[in-house]
Amino acid sequence: MEEVTYIDAIREAQHDLLASDERVFIYGQDVGDFGGAFKATQGLKSLYPDRVIDSPISEDAMIGLAVGASIEGMRPIVEMQFADFSSVGFNQIVNQAGTQFYRTGVPAPITVRLPSGGTPGSGPFHSQMMESVYAYYPGLVIVTPATVADAYSMLVDAVALDDPVLYCEHKFLYRWLKSDRLSDDDEKLPIGQARIVRAGKHATVVAYSAMVHEALRAADLLAEEGWEIEVVDLRSVKPLDTDTIVASVARTGRLLAVGEAFPWGGVTSEIVSRVTNDGFHLLDAPPQRLNSRDTPVPYHPNLWEAHRPTLESIAAAIRNLLRL
Amino acid sequence: MQREFRDASSGPVKHVANRLLHALNQDVPQVERESKSTDMSETWEDHLRRTFRSMITARTLESKLASLYKAGKIVGGVYIGPGQEAVSASIGSCLTWNRDIFGALIRDQGGRTAFGEPILDATRSYLGSVKGPSKGRDGNIHRGHPAQGLPAMISHLGAMVSVVAGMLLARRLQGRLDGIVGAVSVGDGASSTGSFHEGINLAAVERLPLVVVLTNNQFAYSTPTDRQFRCRSLVDRAIGYGIPGYEVDGTDLLASLEVISKAVTEARQGGGPQLVVANLLRLSGHGEHDDGSYVPDEIRNSALGRDCMEVAEHQLLQAGFVTEAELESWKNEAAEQVQAAVAQAQQEPSPDPYTDDWSVYASPELAEDC
Amino acid sequence: MPEVPILMPQLGESIAEATIIRLNVSVGDQVVADQEVIEVETNKATMDVTTLCGGTVRELLVEEGVSYPVGTVLGLLDVTEEEATRTGVQPGGTEDPVSSGSPAEAEEARAHFATPEGGAHEPRKVEPSIRGLSVPAGMKGAHYLSPRMKARMDELGLRAADISAIVGSGSGGRVTVEDLEQFLEYISTWPHSQASPMRLSVADSMRRSWSRPLASVGRPVALDNLLNYRRSLDPKPPLTIFLLRAFGKALSEEPASAGYLIGEKIVHPRAFDIGVAVQVEDGVLVPVLRQVDTRNVGELMEEYLELVRRARERRVPEENTGGGIATVTNFGTFGLMWGTPIPLPSETLILGIGAGKKKPSWSEEEDKFVPVTEADLVLTFDHRVVDGGGAGMLLNRLNDLLQEPENL
Repeated sequence: MEEVTYIDAIREAQHDLLASDERVFIYGQDVGDFGGAFKATQGLKSLYPDRVIDSPISEDAMIGLAVGASIEGMRPIVEMQFADFSSVGFNQIVNQAGTQFYRTGVPAPITVRLPSGGTPGSGPFHSQMMESVYAYYPGLVIVTPATVADAYSMLVDAVALDDPVLYCEHKFLYRWLKSDRLSDDDEKLPIGQARIVRAGKHATVVAYSAMVHEALRAADLLAEEGWEIEVVDLRSVKPLDTDTIVASVARTGRLLAVGEAFPWGGVTSEIVSRVTNDGFHLLDAPPQRLNSRDTPVPYHPNLWEAHRPTLESIAAAIRNLLRL
Repeated sequence: MQREFRDASSGPVKHVANRLLHALNQDVPQVERESKSTDMSETWEDHLRRTFRSMITARTLESKLASLYKAGKIVGGVYIGPGQEAVSASIGSCLTWNRDIFGALIRDQGGRTAFGEPILDATRSYLGSVKGPSKGRDGNIHRGHPAQGLPAMISHLGAMVSVVAGMLLARRLQGRLDGIVGAVSVGDGASSTGSFHEGINLAAVERLPLVVVLTNNQFAYSTPTDRQFRCRSLVDRAIGYGIPGYEVDGTDLLASLEVISKAVTEARQGGGPQLVVANLLRLSGHGEHDDGSYVPDEIRNSALGRDCMEVAEHQLLQAGFVTEAELESWKNEAAEQVQAAVAQAQQEPSPDPYTDDWSVYASPELAEDC
Repeated sequence: MPEVPILMPQLGESIAEATIIRLNVSVGDQVVADQEVIEVETNKATMDVTTLCGGTVRELLVEEGVSYPVGTVLGLLDVTEEEATRTGVQPGGTEDPVSSGSPAEAEEARAHFATPEGGAHEPRKVEPSIRGLSVPAGMKGAHYLSPRMKARMDELGLRAADISAIVGSGSGGRVTVEDLEQFLEYISTWPHSQASPMRLSVADSMRRSWSRPLASVGRPVALDNLLNYRRSLDPKPPLTIFLLRAFGKALSEEPASAGYLIGEKIVHPRAFDIGVAVQVEDGVLVPVLRQVDTRNVGELMEEYLELVRRARERRVPEENTGGGIATVTNFGTFGLMWGTPIPLPSETLILGIGAGKKKPSWSEEEDKFVPVTEADLVLTFDHRVVDGGGAGMLLNRLNDLLQEPENL
């Protein structure tokens, strides 16, 4: 069987959505004949010329337009060329899309695709993780698929959802991550549910997006040292599946939350906070966090490698956690 | 009405209003009687009368709200639009509820009423009734009926331009755009935002039937226009967007309605986005907490400072479109409606934090207990 | 001659690999710097790979129509020293992992996510930015209970003292929940019985009392005067009443000894109520006699006898329960000579007395050993409140009082 990459899954999901649902349209910079900066919309314009629309470089207006279109019953998918640039559309995302249902009772079912995270040599403005920023705001749903099958099914689910969804797709996974199938109905989970991707009993590592793979590799390494590490893939950071996390900590007694985002606050803090609130009595050691460093994302691969959590730093953090 | 007009219509673009201003100064209201509204069954005279009645209702309502504010009855602030009713109501009266789209802003009671928003929406929002359009979750001018074509504004200026554009784009994709127009109201302050620029530019690129009515009321809160922009007139910006621009004396109902009608008609007929700049003076503070003491007397006493209600009344009486008796009955009727709406809202319950479901998601399965 | 690689360049954001469309040069061809030598295609665009400097094509390592990852060495140039110097090109064998090595190595170097099957992974030296408090020094073994361990013990109704037998296998020798479960499993086959409520009540009381630094001092006391005096009375008061009465009197002279330390305050007794430890079935009861300092032995006797009788029936009246400042225990009745009794958690002091025994004692007056009946008095005290000296003086005063039993 032919291999499917993570970005193939994103393209296929959009293709299938356009094919099956006339309410769906794609709006973004260079998404038309050019096929998008990462080729996530390649060939879609020729199939659906009216519903794959090139936008001007106006992130604010792009989101505003999507919200307006959703009021009229459409299901827009907005491609931000890079998650970093969504900061320009921040106001429309958090204040327009995030508040509309609460204020008016009229849903704003938009999906904003955020090509997120670092790749070597991408530097401060093409590498950011934005999920923690948006998760802070009420009314938004933030998904962070880490597998090919999730990349497909969660995009389909995001568009089906009546709420605004920020779909954080990791650029590093685009072409490195491959699978022999696009989706797996047996493994499919709804948005809001985490998945235990590796069972263990000595410590729980909660991760999401690309960090799931780093955590799994760290768990492999620790297995050689005799430790059984449980790895939880959050899949969506908002809603956050506290139950699955706490249940895992109940088995292991130890927690490490790993995120590629900046260290101040954010998803990993929220996880630690909820586990100490709901599961203090389950802990054998103070819960730990591992994030990127508190600097802009550096450009040179040598610096970049040491900026974000990696296999090595996650393994070191787990060893430290096991000693606490 | 013999006060001097500032020549507000000498821009490089269209000068539809000029002729009307001239006519008014001559006290010879040579208003064309054929219909300029999209509803071909309505005469121009009826359109004017309908617009003016909305102005009366809006002014009556807002005077009452200001009074209730001073009586401590209002939840939050009160933001009213005296002096802007002619422009605002002209927008609303050119649009059809549940068909066209109106992105109303802070000083658009006139337009909201003319468009079809029940005045109960306003009294319920201001008086904190749980039956208001936001159930107490948002208030005052942030109300709306998005599904009926009245999106609920957020406070960030210029942000609604692209929302209305998006509603129009959706109609196009759905094949429902024919003869539809979307109008969005902005002010001189909003014209300085990136959101405003992005929104108009995008609408121009998509050639959407969007009418942007920019009411230059001379002050953004306390900031005068010379701290807001450097161009001669904001209508010049239309050139940059590649769209038609119009400038009009916003104190003048006849001129305003004619210009806005024309812009709306152009848009409906496929002319793409239109920019209308209406010049006038805000005859209140930014909100009722603000006395507007920073507004210099020279501006107050200039043509910009005219009260559009007085101008309109004069215009319609002169033209014979309305009689004194009719006017009196319109005002009485408005007062009664407003009183009834205030009374009803006041008797209704306030939101109850214990029974509100606090739902922020349209998909209830996403709710978290935290 | 130096060797310079032709590399697969980074052709755009997130592009991981590219396909060779055409090789524009052959082995042996002369090339100049920046010459477009290989045409490649990504799913974004078609581009040309250029040379870093001039030279001769020594080797082409790739085939047309095949995809190679970014960083792959596509070919090698032989370059003169002068050309290498002129262009500042690092000759081959460079250690930069991004721009050299076999395709597989290059992939491994760049691909943070290369599949684990991709071969042995050499962990790089990355200083991890991790923090966390370690277990405090000295807090080892069963002394350190994690929240999880505490919660499990609460669930099982266990106290820290109950698990002192367990050797911990956790970090710093801590007892883990698994250790605990194993221990419980291990002892589950041992014979066991349910502890009585009385036993559990005493256990709880003693555990709480043991949270304080308790110390004991003792001294012998001659009982002959007391025993002689007692023989003269009818009915004969039990020895403990004299002890009780003397203790009350001595404490009323030095009330600070019976104080409690609460924060920065010494809380003094409001009245000199003293309890008597009575051994009952599977436990100890302590009925309290009120205002012992104001009543003499004769006045105390009836109440004392009644309370001891009722205590043995485990029916101590409400008004004689609790509120004491100290306890007297006569463990001598069990034939014991010495002990270190523990005061109740609500009391600071407990006075014990061992069994009397005849001993030779040197008499200066008679210039010979004479027989003396002697017992040991033991006082256990809260060392936060009283010191050894103070406790000793209290014992000495008791000794003096007991030598004049007729005054008690």
